[in-house]
Amino acid sequence: MWTVLRARAGCSSRSLLQPWKLGFPSLSTTAFDGGVLDLQEIQKILTDVQADDVKIIPAPKHNDWTDFMVLATGRSSWHVKNIAQALIYQAKQKQIGVERMMLPSVQGQEDGKWIVIDSGKVIVHALDENARAYYNLEGLWTRGTLPNEPIEDLHKALVKVRRKNNSKKPAQKKA
Amino acid sequence: MIQPQTHLNVADNSGARELMCIRVIGASNRRYAHIGDVIVAVIKEAVPNTPLERSEVIRAVIVRTCKELKRDNGMIIRYDDNAAVVIDQEGNPKGTRIFGAIARELRQLNFTKIVSLAPEVL
Repeated sequence: MWTVLRARAGCSSRSLLQPWKLGFPSLSTTAFDGGVLDLQEIQKILTDVQADDVKIIPAPKHNDWTDFMVLATGRSSWHVKNIAQALIYQAKQKQIGVERMMLPSVQGQEDGKWIVIDSGKVIVHALDENARAYYNLEGLWTRGTLPNEPIEDLHKALVKVRRKNNSKKPAQKKA
Repeated sequence: MIQPQTHLNVADNSGARELMCIRVIGASNRRYAHIGDVIVAVIKEAVPNTPLERSEVIRAVIVRTCKELKRDNGMIIRYDDNAAVVIDQEGNPKGTRIFGAIARELRQLNFTKIVSLAPEVL
């Protein structure tokens, strides 16, 4: 996985390995360092819980709200929930004895279709197979020119079509 | 400022095209909804041959408002339209893609799924 990623990312592979040094150097060295899980740990946990088809996608350049998206597929809703639980458990284990624990925010834990574990710089999406095919997240993020693509969809969405009124009968001419 | 009877555009490809707010979810006598709030809405207009139909009652998250959104750093964001994204009871979006710019406050309000589907985050 890492070799593939490195080959694909090309020249940016160095920054992949030290992702936190980019944005806020003072923050990442002091307060945020021990808090969240990094990519290698997340990948180890995902292989331990046997998540299928794990993909790590570096965020596009114009995207400044996160650095990495991780996709993982679970075989059932229980499996998806277990993936989320394992990540939360590991985040807790990492911060034992810390005065203020920083836990990732978790969304969608009630139904196990799509659970998002958002720990700031890395966002892990655990989906079941149907949801993964339906939302097609890797198609959205690995596409090269993101802003150009949805324009035709947008035009379709903005076209206003007048509803047909079937209640009134058309005026018929008597011949 | 979205209140009951407000008409909103739909910012996703779920198949609905126009919504009307019928209830703001939150407190019992809540008057207005802003960006990131969940409303109950009725579909006023839908694309033909899609799962969602006209006059169906759904839940939606507001993603754009004409009323300005103020941030702590003094930034003010104001959009040209009122727009919402259709969600189900669990908070999963019905559509698979979202159109237009989205404010990053949605992520703090636990709508990371919507933010991760959006093409642009302000």
